[in-house]
Amino acid sequence: MKQIFPLTFMTHNDIPHWISHLQKIENVIAPHKNGINSFSFGKVSDPKCVILNYDRTLSSIKKYFLPPKETLFSFSTDGKETTSSKVEPINAIFLGVHNYDLEAVFRLDHNFLSGHAESQYLTRRQGALFIGVSYTPDEWHFSNSVLKDGEPNHSGGFDLFLHEIEDGYLLETLTESGQNLMKGFPLPEFDGDIPKQQSFNAHIDGGFEKVTDVFSRAWDSPVWESYAEKCVGCGTCNLVCPTCFCFNVEDEVDLDLKTGNRIRTQDGCMLRSFSEVAGGEIFRNQKAARMRHRLYRKFKYISQETGESWCVGCGRCSAYCTAGISIVDIVNDLIHDSNREIGA
Amino acid sequence: MKPKVAVFDFTGCEGCELNKLNFEDELLALLEHIDIVEWREAMDDKSDHYTIAIVEGSISTPDCVERIHDIRNRSEILIALGACAVQGGMNAMKNQYPLEQVREEVYGCHKDLFPTLPALPLSRYVRVDYEVRGCPMTKNEFLKILTSILMGKKPIKPTHAVCVECKLNENECVYDKGMVCLGPITRGGCDSLCTNFGQYCTGCRGLVDEPDVEAMLAILNRHGLSIVEAKKRLELFNYENQAL
Repeated sequence: MKQIFPLTFMTHNDIPHWISHLQKIENVIAPHKNGINSFSFGKVSDPKCVILNYDRTLSSIKKYFLPPKETLFSFSTDGKETTSSKVEPINAIFLGVHNYDLEAVFRLDHNFLSGHAESQYLTRRQGALFIGVSYTPDEWHFSNSVLKDGEPNHSGGFDLFLHEIEDGYLLETLTESGQNLMKGFPLPEFDGDIPKQQSFNAHIDGGFEKVTDVFSRAWDSPVWESYAEKCVGCGTCNLVCPTCFCFNVEDEVDLDLKTGNRIRTQDGCMLRSFSEVAGGEIFRNQKAARMRHRLYRKFKYISQETGESWCVGCGRCSAYCTAGISIVDIVNDLIHDSNREIGA
Repeated sequence: MKPKVAVFDFTGCEGCELNKLNFEDELLALLEHIDIVEWREAMDDKSDHYTIAIVEGSISTPDCVERIHDIRNRSEILIALGACAVQGGMNAMKNQYPLEQVREEVYGCHKDLFPTLPALPLSRYVRVDYEVRGCPMTKNEFLKILTSILMGKKPIKPTHAVCVECKLNENECVYDKGMVCLGPITRGGCDSLCTNFGQYCTGCRGLVDEPDVEAMLAILNRHGLSIVEAKKRLELFNYENQAL
């Protein structure tokens, strides 16, 4: 690929200084340690606490555009007054984003722009700049099985991108906004190539083309039930997914009984109550049916309109499943089951 | 006229009731809408009829049985308050032993003065209209149910697992810290209070509807507990749950 902007080089020691430089321009949101073995995106206060070498964060950057819980508006219980919540553009630099998480944001953009445009999401989404970082795939990542450009060093869509090398990072500048972020922070040019991509450990056999094919025939597969047996239906897979966006809406009335708030909370199709309708009927009561629905949402329902996978291969649903269910295993079993059936 | 509210206690530690007296910021606002007419722990007054009876504790003696029927007959709405009232609570662990043995253990030579029954949730004896779960009861759930009743609305009962709230709060998974947790099968609504503070979920709010106990036992087993240990963990607050 032709470089428009020259590649530059940054040492590990440069990183905190550079983050301080970025903070003078805009708020910086980056991965930090959260707990013992986990990571989370958060607003940077001390640049030294930013961790760029991480496997995955518990939640994706989606949480900044679509908060897990938010007040849509306040109301008076006599119905006379409603006050919309003030929603502001995010105006922040997202630093240290993996390729699949930016892909997931683009998927959500599609979901919230098509049909009835969702103004709260679209307002928050404004003013976001993205600085990517390459990563080493672990046992759960499988982005290149589902994305056209799923390599850990694929920089498309970012403003700047950091390629990790032995003694620091190569900085790839991709947009003018990215170039502007570097004004006042000169770096030496790097004369060489971007390092080769790291290979994945988890794969969907036959890639997304095969997935599309199999999901046209997978509805009655016994595979769903075989995985549903292990599942407790806790909904973790939905809640950590960077492209899941379903929500529930509840009214909370204040103790004066005169005012209240309409609250939107993230929901998930693996939860039994998700498909409960008026009268108490639960139309997707079986876990196998719920699991099938979740995967069809990732691999068929939206994909057949857009041609793209709505699963980005981040591996969160597998890595955080306490029952040890892997989405890659489910899809591969569906593929093998389907191959057996058609005698392939 | 304001609704008449009464508070009663049965077998339990009375912690849920005390928890209510701790509603320092909310109690005055609540008293704008209700009259508290009977509450042994807080006042001397009595009443014959209640709009709302809030009942704490499990039913574990013949005397309890008589009293709960009497309260139910004199109440329009009955709310079970806390794990003992809703699920039988920890008290129900005694139900795994012969009653005579339990009596002997607790009261020794005076055992004949204290007749006992298996500790059971209120719902095994009377109709319960609403449940406030938790050990101690979850304050926000209590306030939500009360405001809903006062508004004439049906309260929304949480049915999802604690895992949902843990993920919304972006807590590191307890299992990833090397501990085991009952969050995947325990009814949420507590805003994952314990795990927010680094603890594991003990299951005090009871199991979700239609719990998959087999799958949960396999998870606990996968993370190092024997099936016997895993069952004991689940029984701590759920001994009377038919799914176990």
